[in-house]
Formats: sequence, structure tokens, C-alpha cells
Amino acid sequence: MLAEIAGLSDEVWNEAGGLTVGQFRAQMLDKYPAMRDKKFKIAVNQKISDDFVLIETPAEIALLPPFAGG
Amino acid sequence: MEKAHKPKKVFVQGPISPDFVAKSIASHQSKTGIGAHAIFLGQIRADQKEGGAVTGIDYTAYEEMAEQAFHDIREAAFTKFELTCMHIYHSLGLVPTGEISLFVFVSSPHRRAAFEASEYIVEEIKANVPIFGKEMVGEAGQHVWKENT
Repeated sequence: MLAEIAGLSDEVWNEAGGLTVGQFRAQMLDKYPAMRDKKFKIAVNQKISDDFVLIETPAEIALLPPFAGG
Repeated sequence: MEKAHKPKKVFVQGPISPDFVAKSIASHQSKTGIGAHAIFLGQIRADQKEGGAVTGIDYTAYEEMAEQAFHDIREAAFTKFELTCMHIYHSLGLVPTGEISLFVFVSSPHRRAAFEASEYIVEEIKANVPIFGKEMVGEAGQHVWKENT
């Protein structure tokens, strides 16, 4: 559902300095305002991470909508 | 338990067939320490949505993370419960209404561990594995994203 908003399934995010998950989230929402009313978690290198976590580069960051397995 | 459990393939393309479930049961006949199997099957429900009934769910996953999450659930279940073996299969791609998308199969010497482990595993999958489901609705090709509650 987030990929539908962004119109792409992956994207390279260039950031020189240290960025926290929260700062990254804010940048995402600036770029894709339609994501503001969507619920998602952020995984850094396949680990769900809180907003205070510093992202070490390079990292694989994933936006995870609500899970629906089962 | 010292034994390390190798990562196993969980995802299958499309629905899980009743025949596959039957063959899985049959393949345990030689394991005579088992006294109880518990099987959980998740089936696609024809929920009514705005625009019509759900005709199927198209599943996708963040596969690498999901495989790891399944592995962690397996390890935790083997630690928590007295299990002889455990198999988990989940569909990817389209699973039509009425067909099976999740197959959890646990075996134990005794029933209590089998019952409890199967419930634990299903709840963990629903909460912690990054699998996404697009519910296909009606004839017009509409969809809504499913969310576990």
C-alpha cells in the first residue's frame, strides 16, 4: 500500500550524516504526504526499530504496513 | 535441547492443497515417539466489504525478514514446548476464498504440548511476521489491505 503511494517499490535515500529512524520517517512523510494517514513500522536491516535509533549507513530500510499473515 | 534447527522453507506459491496436508501427516508414521499431532489451517474467508465479498487474498512478504521471523518462532516453540517436530507453511500470491493459506503442524509425545504450541505459533505468526495481504473484493478488481487484529 505504501509502494502504491510512492509509485515505486524501492528507492535509494542519500544522507551524509547520521539520521535517526524518526528523522528518516519525517523526511519520508515530507516526500510522500499521503503516507501520513497510513500505519507503518520501520525496519532497519530487517529489524523493527524505534524512532530514536540511529541508522548506520549503508542500511536497508523497509516500511512495513500492518501484518496480515495467517 | 542442543539440536540446532536448520532454517526451513516456509513459503509456498498459491494455496496449500489438502493433498499436501494429507501427505505431511502420512510422512510421520515412522516417527513412533509421537502421540499427538495438532494441525492449524488458515482458510480465506469471504468477508463482506464495501464493493462486494472477498474473493481471495493476494499475499506478499518482506521475505528475508519473514523467513528469519519464522525461524525465531520455531526456535522459541521448540524451547517452550515438548515437541518432536514442527512444520509451518504459508502461501504467497493469490489464495482464493475457501482455500488454505497457512498450515501449522506440530507433533509431540502428548496432546497438551501439541495444542499449546500450535496456538502459540499461530499467534506469533499473526503478530510478528512481515506478511501483507491484499483482499480482492467483488468483480470490479477492487482491493483492500488486510490487517491482523
